[in-house]
This record gives sequence, C-alpha cells and structure tokens, in this order.
Amino acid sequence: MIAAFEYFAPKTVREALSLLAKYKEEAKIIAGGQSMLVVMKQRLLTPEYLIDLKGITDLDYIKYDEGKGLRIGALTIHRAIEKSPVIQKHFGVLSEMEGNLATIQTRNWGTIGGNICHGDPAGDPAPVLIALKAKLKLASSAGERIVEAEEFSKDYLEVALEPNEMLTEIQVPTPPAHTGTAYEKLMVMKGDMSIIGAAVSITLDSKGGCGDARIALSNAASVPLRAKKAEKLLIGKTINNGLLTKAGEVASTEATPPADVHGSIEYRREMVKVFVKRVAQLALERAKAA
Amino acid sequence: MSEYSVIGKRVHRVDGPEKVTGSAKYTFDLVLPGMLYGKVLRSPHPHAKILKIDTRKAKRLVGVKAVVTGKDTLGHKQGIWRRFPELCDEEILCREKVRYIGDPVAAVAAIDEDTAEEALDLIDVEYEPLPAVFDPLEAIKEDAPQVHDGIELNININRHIEWGDVDEAFKKCDHIREDQFKCSSQAHVCMETHDAVVSYDYGGKMTVWTSTQSSYYIQRLMADMTGLREGDIRVIKPPTGGGFGSKFELDSAQFCAAILSMKLCKPVKIVLSREEEFTATKRRTPMYYFLKLGAKKDGTLLAKEARVITEGGAYTAMGATALYLTGFFSSFPYKYPNYRYDGYRVYTNTAVTSAMRGFGAPQSTFVGESQLDMMAEDLGIDPIEIRRKNGMTPNYEVPGQAFIQSCGLHQCLDKIEEHVKERGKLPPNHGIGVSAYGFMSGGIFNWFDTPYAFSAAVVRINIDGKVDLFTGACDIGQGSDTTLSMICAEELGVKLEDIRIHAADTGICPPDLGAWGSRETLMNGNAVKRAAAECKRQLLEFAAAKMAPNIAYDFDIKDRWVHLVDRPERGVSYFDIVKEAIRGKDGNAIMGRGHYTPHRKGMISPAYSFGVQAAEVAVDTETGRYKLVNVTTAHESGTVINPVGIEGQLEGAIMMAGGYGFCEDQPMDEGKILNPSIADYKLIRSLDMPETDILEIDTYEPEGPFGAKEAGEGLTNPTAGAIGNAVYKAVGVRINDLPITPEKVLKALKEKEKKKK
Repeated sequence: MIAAFEYFAPKTVREALSLLAKYKEEAKIIAGGQSMLVVMKQRLLTPEYLIDLKGITDLDYIKYDEGKGLRIGALTIHRAIEKSPVIQKHFGVLSEMEGNLATIQTRNWGTIGGNICHGDPAGDPAPVLIALKAKLKLASSAGERIVEAEEFSKDYLEVALEPNEMLTEIQVPTPPAHTGTAYEKLMVMKGDMSIIGAAVSITLDSKGGCGDARIALSNAASVPLRAKKAEKLLIGKTINNGLLTKAGEVASTEATPPADVHGSIEYRREMVKVFVKRVAQLALERAKAA
Repeated sequence: MSEYSVIGKRVHRVDGPEKVTGSAKYTFDLVLPGMLYGKVLRSPHPHAKILKIDTRKAKRLVGVKAVVTGKDTLGHKQGIWRRFPELCDEEILCREKVRYIGDPVAAVAAIDEDTAEEALDLIDVEYEPLPAVFDPLEAIKEDAPQVHDGIELNININRHIEWGDVDEAFKKCDHIREDQFKCSSQAHVCMETHDAVVSYDYGGKMTVWTSTQSSYYIQRLMADMTGLREGDIRVIKPPTGGGFGSKFELDSAQFCAAILSMKLCKPVKIVLSREEEFTATKRRTPMYYFLKLGAKKDGTLLAKEARVITEGGAYTAMGATALYLTGFFSSFPYKYPNYRYDGYRVYTNTAVTSAMRGFGAPQSTFVGESQLDMMAEDLGIDPIEIRRKNGMTPNYEVPGQAFIQSCGLHQCLDKIEEHVKERGKLPPNHGIGVSAYGFMSGGIFNWFDTPYAFSAAVVRINIDGKVDLFTGACDIGQGSDTTLSMICAEELGVKLEDIRIHAADTGICPPDLGAWGSRETLMNGNAVKRAAAECKRQLLEFAAAKMAPNIAYDFDIKDRWVHLVDRPERGVSYFDIVKEAIRGKDGNAIMGRGHYTPHRKGMISPAYSFGVQAAEVAVDTETGRYKLVNVTTAHESGTVINPVGIEGQLEGAIMMAGGYGFCEDQPMDEGKILNPSIADYKLIRSLDMPETDILEIDTYEPEGPFGAKEAGEGLTNPTAGAIGNAVYKAVGVRINDLPITPEKVLKALKEKEKKKK
C-alpha cells in the first residue's frame, strides 16, 4: 500500500519549481511515475508531497539544429524519441536504444527525464547519453545550471539534483565527422532491464585511427559507468579485433557489477567483455560509414 | 464415420464477445452492497512457534470491522486428499506454528483495502523462530529440523511403482547410463490472482464467488472447514483468469473471506496481491531426479530405474499426486519391460508445492528425454529412431498400471521426422531437439473421496428450441464452455448458437470434479454427450410417432433437421418437434441427465494422449543466450473437437513450458522467494515467442466423446526436454538442471573449451 501523500499537478515549469522550493526534501517528482510508484508501493520512499510533471507540455519537445545539436525536453515520452524522424536520422542510437526499453505501453507513458532522474544504473538512456557527451539542464527557482550527463548519477538511485531542482532538458551535441555510436544490452526477454549493457562511441581521425572513444556501461556498477581505462586503450590506435577484445577485458576490470537473480558477478563481468567488444565493433563500422 | 456439423469446425469461443470487449465480470470485478475488503497477515518466518497474537490495536482502527485468527476457526486441518486424514495437514489460519514465509496467521475485514492493510500492521504477533530446513536433501537427514512433529525424516509420502525384474534386466544390458537432474520450481502466474467474494447471510447460507478450477471441491472443502452443510454453500465460478493447477484447493482468499463473512454476516472480498500470489500460493514441485537406464546395442530399452526426491514445501496439498504421476510418467511413452520408481516427497520450510499443468510429467519428460538422447548418442542411434523402437503402440498395457487404447505416437514421430528433414541444414550453432511425451485424460483415483460421479451434466430443451446445458465443468480460460457446447450441439443435432451453457455454479449445476488433470473434454464431454443423447431420444420418440414410417427406419437430428437416417430428405424441423414434444409431455421441458465415471480403466486414466515436439534453438556462444527459433508439435488427442482451442492450448503451453525450460525459476534465500514480482520473475512474452506449428495426427479414442481425448496439460510436457536436447545439438553442452539459463550454458561452454585444451 502506498502511504498517503498530497498530489500536485503543475501546468508550468515555474509552478513546479515554486512547489519544489516550498516542499524541498518532502516532495518527490513523478514524470510518468512508472519507477517512482513502484518504489512508493514498496515503501522505500514515502514522500509527503508528490509533484506530477506530466501536465507541463512545455517540456515535451524534440528540436534539432546542426550547430546546436539535439534538444530533448525532459517530459518527452520514450516512444516519441524512438519514432522521431530527426532522431532516427541524426542520432539513430537513441532511437534503437528506446526500441528495447521496456514495452510499448511503458514507452508511451514514461519520459526520458523521469528515467534519467530515477538513477537506476540498469537504465538504458544514461549510458547512451554519456557516450554521446550529452549535457543536462537543471532548473530551480534560483536559476539554471548545466551538468555533464556522466556527472549526473551519484549512487544507486541517487542523482545530482538539489531538492529544489528538476531536470528540464537533455542536450546532445552533434558528433564530429566520422563518429559512430551504438548500444546493446543483454536481456532475458526483449524489453527487459539490461543484465549488462554497453554504449560505445568512436570517432575516427583523418588516418582512420581512433581519434576519440567513449564507453559507458549499464548495470555494471552503482551508477552508469564510464570505462575510462578501456577508452584510453583505444584512443590514438588503429582499432582491430585484438584491441577490442583487450578493451573489453579492461572494461571488465573497471566494472563492479551487482549479483542478483538474473546473473552472478562473474557472469556480468564476462558479459562486459563481450558487449564492449561487440558494441565497439558496431560503433567502428558506423564510424567508418559515417 | 459420418461428417460432423459442429465438431472440428473453427468456431468463436462462446464466451468470446464478453472477454474481447473487456465486459466479462471476473470475481475481481464483483462488488456487492455493503461489501467489505479483507487482507491476510502472513508469517515473515520460515518456521516459528506462534506465542501470542494481539489484535486489539487493529480492531480499534477506524474502518476495521473484524479481525480473525486461528482461534476463530474450527481448528480443522484441511487437505484435498480427503480420503487420507493424515495427509490433511494444513491450517489455513495457523494456530500454533507457521511453516513457511507466507503462512497465514490472521485476516482483517475493513471498509476498504487500504484500511485493511493498515490494520495488518497493527496486529502484534509474537513468534519464537525455530530452526528451519529448505532443501529436501537436507531435510531427510537425521538431525534436520522437523517441519511436522512425528514425521520421520520429514518424509511426507513415498511412492513405489515396479514391474518386471529390474535388477536382472540391467545385467542383460549392453549399456547403462546413470544421470542426475534437478527440476526447478515454477509459478502458475495466472492473470487473475486468487480471489473470492463470500457472502454469508443471517439465514445461515453462504455464497462464494471465486476464481477456481473446481466449484464442487471448494464447496465440499469449505463445508469441512466451516461446519456448514454442503448444501448451504453455493459456489459460483465467474469468468476465470487462469488456473494451471493453482486453483482447485481451498485457498486463503476463499477461507479467510468466508470466516470474516460468517462473523459479520456481510459480504467480504479478498484479492491476493501479485506478491502473495508468488509467495503464498502453491507452485510446481522442484525435484531431484536420479535415473538409471539400460539398453541393448540396438537401442532396445530393457530397464529403467527412477529415484526422485521432491521438495514438498510445508504441506501435502496435491503433492501426493505429483509424486505418483512423475513416477508413472517417467515410464512414458515407452514400453519398458522392467521398470522401478521410488519417489519421496519431503517436507521443507518453503512455499507449498502442488499441482501445476503437467503435474509431475514436465519434470519426468525433461529428465527422461534428456537421458534418452544421451543414450541414443552413446549407442550411435538417431534420436527419433530410438524413440520409434521403444515407443508405445495402441492397445498396450503398462503392467499393473494402465491400459492404453488409442496411441498415435508413431504417426507423431513420422511427422516430426519429416519436419526435421524439411528444416534442412541448419546455420552454425543452431540445433533441433526432439522430445516425446504422453499424458492422461483425467485421473481415476478417488482421493477426494467423493460419492458423486466424476462428471455430470443436465440438458434441458425449452419451447423455442434453445438448449440449456448445465455442467459442473469449469472454464478457466482453456475453453471447456465452448468444447462442451460443441459436443452438446453435435449430439443433439442443433447449431452451436442453440446452446446456452450454465457452468460451475453448485447451486444449479451437477457436481463435477473440475478442470484439472486434463479431464473436462473426455469426462465431462462424455457426460454432456449422454445428457444430450437422452434428450434426443425423447425427441425422436415424438418424431417416430409423428412421421410413422411404414417400415422401421432409424431417426436422427442434424442441423436442426429431424429425419430418417436412410432418407435424410424426409424429415421435420427440430423446432416443430420440440414444441410438440413439450406439449405432449404435459408441458414439461425436455430434460436429459448424463454422467461419467471411469470403470475398469486401470489406476491412472481412461485414455492417454501422445505427441512429439521438435524445438529449434540458436545459441549465442559468447553469452550463452539462445533464441527459441521454432517449436513444432505433433500432438494426437483423438478426434479434435475444437481446433481453435487446441491451437490456443499449444501456444500457451509453449509459452509456459518454454519458460520452464528457459527462464522461469523461484530462487530462494532461507526460504524467502527472491523474485516475487512480474518484473523479476521472467516469463516468455509475445515478442520472444518462437514460430509455432501444430502437425495434425488422426486418431480415435474409443473411450472419449466422439473419439476425443486431452489436449491441455500434455502439451506442457515436452518443451524443456526438447530445448535441452536442442542446445546440446547446437553447441554440444548438456544442462541437467532447469531452467537452462544463458549463464549455465556459457559456463558449460567454457568448461567444454577447457577440457579440449
């Protein structure tokens, strides 16, 4: 049973921020509610006030400009991102990632902002956004600030939001030329949370070597994990199969995955190797084609 | 055989329109005036003494109307094996001791669910935790904690089946294999959780609306537990969202709602939460299997020995049947001249294991079919060939156990062999595994101790020709309402839309044991057919009198046309005959009764279905993840009454049995189930369903209505074994413990690689 709470449904960002300013720690935000309500049913959280952002239509948008990159409003539903022609064209990896995020019913109600702010390290959007070097715009009644996507997660289900803050926008820069990005995850059934997932972005330099690389893992630590040592291994080198195998092995040592009913620590470490290698291979092919 | 006009046709379900429009009212949907909502307090301990229960605070909460504990019951221990009082060992509200996490200790009725749940937190139960035991192999040790006092080594039941001279036969074998297996738990995961609305009135009558597989069992068991007369309890089964074996025993929703309603003389509704459904209802029996199989060089199987230790959980439930059937079906579907089975069901401090679709046979089929493939490989014989060489044939007697009349196993093997050939050369890491099986069409043994016929039906023809069919059969989604209506229409010679079925309401329907053991088509089908035949006989008397043929002709009815069999063009309308017959009977509606109780059919069942399944998998050797590519089944169920129904059964069975083989499990820590939610309990969903195909086999079962037999549970038996064999064919690793998860496959692949080096 969910403990009693007071419910607010603000229609504007300003209204929402003033509620947050008023209730701070005693309030929780839902932006679809599919994660929060589960946590509340389990009584892991018992907020006094629940602020439902679903009615703020101003934050439901997808904008693209080659110079400024992609801007996604925090209240955009997953299904809209999956189906957006502009995202499919310029940021195909985001659309692919969304296609395996839970079920269509969930994607039709859940929002990208809600997913990221839930801070579940098994979530799919965060590692992809980290690989894409995305930034997040946070707002409070005192003003706005921008944080790197990779800096946002602090611990299991903990993110860098102050009690009076909310996420308003996701900003994804246009990747440099010859960049390929991919994301894949191991699932028991299609649409499941990842047992292990890997997002890899590779930018080739003019000689065809690896100019830049980003590797981010889902469900491999208490936060979406950037495998920086593995990235370092790739940067500046000509990528081949042997190097990718090695990158997977290094990433596996960086991971501190959980054990649960869906997989042991040993299995997950093994899967980090496999997925980093596979996804990097795919990213490389895409970079070459780009 | 004559052409049927209803049977075998593709028809819509008779309950289809309400279900597809969402307007069908399940127990879950029912609301009565003044109805209260109940919740059940359950033990957090796997094993503990109850020292004290203080309900005072809960009773004082505003909105709470009643709180009951074991003291408010008659203190009867209940069980479904009523013929054996020592096996009735379960208190639905525990008085002295709890034996698993989820055992009910108290129940609350309040004005709404939230209040009832809040009240649960205010009930103060003082426990003295006791040492607990979770694994049956631990529980049979001398110094293990005792789950029930006075039960030696925690052995709840043992079963022995034997024929031939097994030890002597093993001496004559050219090759013997000994293998161990472990079969996991599985949850039924019905769409509708266990629920009940119970209304007890000041006149002393009780009405129970509940999601059940047997309204008659619930009526009888409720009478045992409340002290009411059976006839004062009316059990009505509204449309039901699944059973799969979980809903024919008296459960906590039904019993607690009844006790609360009796206390208040108000209707009380209890709906179990999904978490309760996973942790505090019954489940498939996990089994340790030890198999010994001996064969001649040419693949002739001479002897088999099966030893089984099953995890019973805290109480007996239907576990005794699962224990017997897994032993019986371990000999299926082959002609073992020498066979021995010893099974032990062991009490543990875990959630109770009981009936689940297949009832012990999915376990025996997984282990048996896995081992048979290993044997075939050892001997260098094709897997289909070894099955053909030893497979059962029509008119075969399982010594001292059963007589099998119809058996289409060999046709099934031929069809599957063709199918495998048609798939041609497979891509790398693909493999096709086959698995053969059989199952019963309803059980014979009367452990429930009912004096009634196993199945009964009443057919009444009204003045407008509309037919009321009354039956105790329970449609739980499997489609018995449609199948039985089709049988009634065919026998009577009318159209399907002429039948209106009234089922599973003990107030108006004759008793039937219910929907379990794949019994409704054969057993209730026979009862319906006889009741309809009795009505038809009465109509034909009038037809004969009216038409007065000048020589003796046989009469029949087909498509509402009452006619001379040899001169079908000579006849009269069914509707006219009905009107005249009723008038002629002094205004009495035409009525026929029918019943079916099996006689001289051995120990198990009046008839058996057979089949062979081929599953194709594609294994990702780096992750161990495999995809179910295709599952093709040749299932022979005698005459097919309802083809759409069989297709539904097959697809549902592949989803359920594929899950059993691939991903469904209930891991525990100290008796606590770790994945009691749909998020963590993995089921095969539509997007992961393989292509499925059903190959038609033509057989006829003399004991069945129009030659029909079961097509429900049997289909759940082969898949885990077929998957195991397919994974082996694909990548050469054999997994002996279910489920065959990617992690296990990968581990086995790595070990195999290591050995190579």
